[in-house]
Amino acid sequence: MNGPVIHDAWTLPVDDNINPYAFSVDLNGQWFLQKGKMVAYYGQIDFHGVGLGHLDHLIAYSFHSPLHAADWVVAEGQGKMVLADRAFDVNSYDLEDGNLSIRSGNLLAFQPSLSLKQSIVPGFLTLLGTGKFVAASNGPVVFMEPPIRVDPQALVGWADCPTPCHHYDHQYLRGFLGAIRSRTGLGGASGEEHQFEFVGAGTVLLQSTEEVVAEISVGETGGTGS
Amino acid sequence: MPFTLLTSRMVEAQVLPGQTLFSQRGAMLAYRGDVRFTPSITGGQRGVRGMIGRRIADEDTPLMTVEGQGTVMFGHGGHHVHVIDLVGDTLYVESDRLLAFDGSLRQGTMFMGSQGGVMGMVRGQVTGQGLFTTTLEGHGSAAVMAHGGVLELPIDQGRPVHVDPQAYVAHRGDVRNKLSTAIGWREMVGRGSGEAFQLELSGTGMVYVQASEEKL
Amino acid sequence: MLAVDLTGDSVKAKNGAMVAYEGEMTFKKKTGGGEGLRGMVTRRLTGEQMAVMEVKGHGTCYFADRASEVNLVSLHGEKLYVESSNLLCTDSALRTGTSFTGLRGSSQGNGLFTTTVEGTGQAALVSAGTAIVLRVTPQTPLQVDPGAYLAHTGGLKQHFQAGVNFRALIGESGGESFQIRFEGDGLVYVQPSERNTIGGEV
Repeated sequence: MNGPVIHDAWTLPVDDNINPYAFSVDLNGQWFLQKGKMVAYYGQIDFHGVGLGHLDHLIAYSFHSPLHAADWVVAEGQGKMVLADRAFDVNSYDLEDGNLSIRSGNLLAFQPSLSLKQSIVPGFLTLLGTGKFVAASNGPVVFMEPPIRVDPQALVGWADCPTPCHHYDHQYLRGFLGAIRSRTGLGGASGEEHQFEFVGAGTVLLQSTEEVVAEISVGETGGTGS
Repeated sequence: MPFTLLTSRMVEAQVLPGQTLFSQRGAMLAYRGDVRFTPSITGGQRGVRGMIGRRIADEDTPLMTVEGQGTVMFGHGGHHVHVIDLVGDTLYVESDRLLAFDGSLRQGTMFMGSQGGVMGMVRGQVTGQGLFTTTLEGHGSAAVMAHGGVLELPIDQGRPVHVDPQAYVAHRGDVRNKLSTAIGWREMVGRGSGEAFQLELSGTGMVYVQASEEKL
Repeated sequence: MLAVDLTGDSVKAKNGAMVAYEGEMTFKKKTGGGEGLRGMVTRRLTGEQMAVMEVKGHGTCYFADRASEVNLVSLHGEKLYVESSNLLCTDSALRTGTSFTGLRGSSQGNGLFTTTVEGTGQAALVSAGTAIVLRVTPQTPLQVDPGAYLAHTGGLKQHFQAGVNFRALIGESGGESFQIRFEGDGLVYVQPSERNTIGGEV
């Protein structure tokens, strides 16, 4: 068996995966990073809290999510950063004048050429513009085309399609078993009465989990996150 | 074979009219087409007896039936998924590890005590997984979940396999299992309190082992 | 999962890490026998002990630890420093011992000592996700999140930084306002996860 690949400051990939769980950013300027998602770095890199100091201009352009400001920093300088998140699969995505919404807990980092906004769907963030971002998922991401109905917990994000709507399984609610349940409490719910429904042109990103990557509450109680 | 692995943790199943799938409740990740999900009270065609048996054993994993026409993606908790194709033989699996399976498979419950004698009962206590094991028999596929990847270890005559009960996922074939205590094993595996046993599988068949001693 | 073929020889492994085996195996508990093993046992000053077993026989053993990835490290006479909770299994020819690492204890509240593995042979490390091996040279020091650090080899000096910059990065509530800075010549093994701190379970 071959030994493991040994990386150094020069041979680390340039904005690419090191292995399925780790991503190397070649920093030459600025990137937005979610706190605690960087496991190692080489070089001269400064980290600034969002909303602090001399980066106001950048943040005014790129960062429009006050609820998440406390969880993000700007990395500035020259070097290589290794990003990872609890051994989840990590991948980078390129947007070209696009828009993509993603579960807030899954987003690790993005280039300031992208603009970050809060999605109308609670718990999701929307990236607009052109640039690269890095996201984690529980297992590899599966790309699906609409029309499709998705368990909200399995949803990583969506690109280009119209905002999803809720779908309820009325057949279940009205049906025989529903009646039994309402009278006797037997049978329970199938657990699948509610989905997000996607229609139109675009791509839907799925992961396998019902325990999602820990997310920060958005638009609910205005929680401060953690 | 209705299951296709999309990733190590997600399977896709084709649902066709007139065919039924069973899945663990809440394991549907996404679907397209006209697909109905119904909580299964009986737990399947032969299920009434099976489910009663399981209720007693407190091993009631809620199932739902999946019918209609379309495609369904299944996964649960980010666990690894392993697809096992049955060709007339019987699969023995703990019910909470069953993600989804063909409705064409006959579902039953086996009292492990009848197979492994007293030790079979001990096994239930040791693993906390109950005295009853679900059996699936016939032609069709089952998707089972494991913590970490799954290793398939063949069991041949004269070549028994010893497995940590906590890492045991399922087995198939003509296999006898018994708990034994290898010399020294008790000290070695003393991770928890009751893990003084190892599961010895002998005969002809296959055992599925997960890369972890964690239960689901 | 790690498969080890034994033909009469033996390996040392973390207690409880074997998930299956074929063939004839005997197990022997190692409790403070050799100098090295006592080191591993005494290292765990807080609570649980790191216990080691020796497996000997003919056949195949399968080791795993909580679905972690297994990484093989080949040693040719050098010394590997590793957190004992990340050490799954070693050739029995390798010597294990304990080394005092001083400062880390103050940052982690745990683990003043680290396990060393020395000699020629293979050691298996477990990590959350496949480990990454990063080379440190005098020109390129490396900063590592303490929770992602697994092991290192070579002539490295490590010290702890609690820089203002880094504090901004991980937040005041995170409880890990340190980074480890490695300088010198050597290799650092990093896992793509920061949740498990050096001491094992959080």
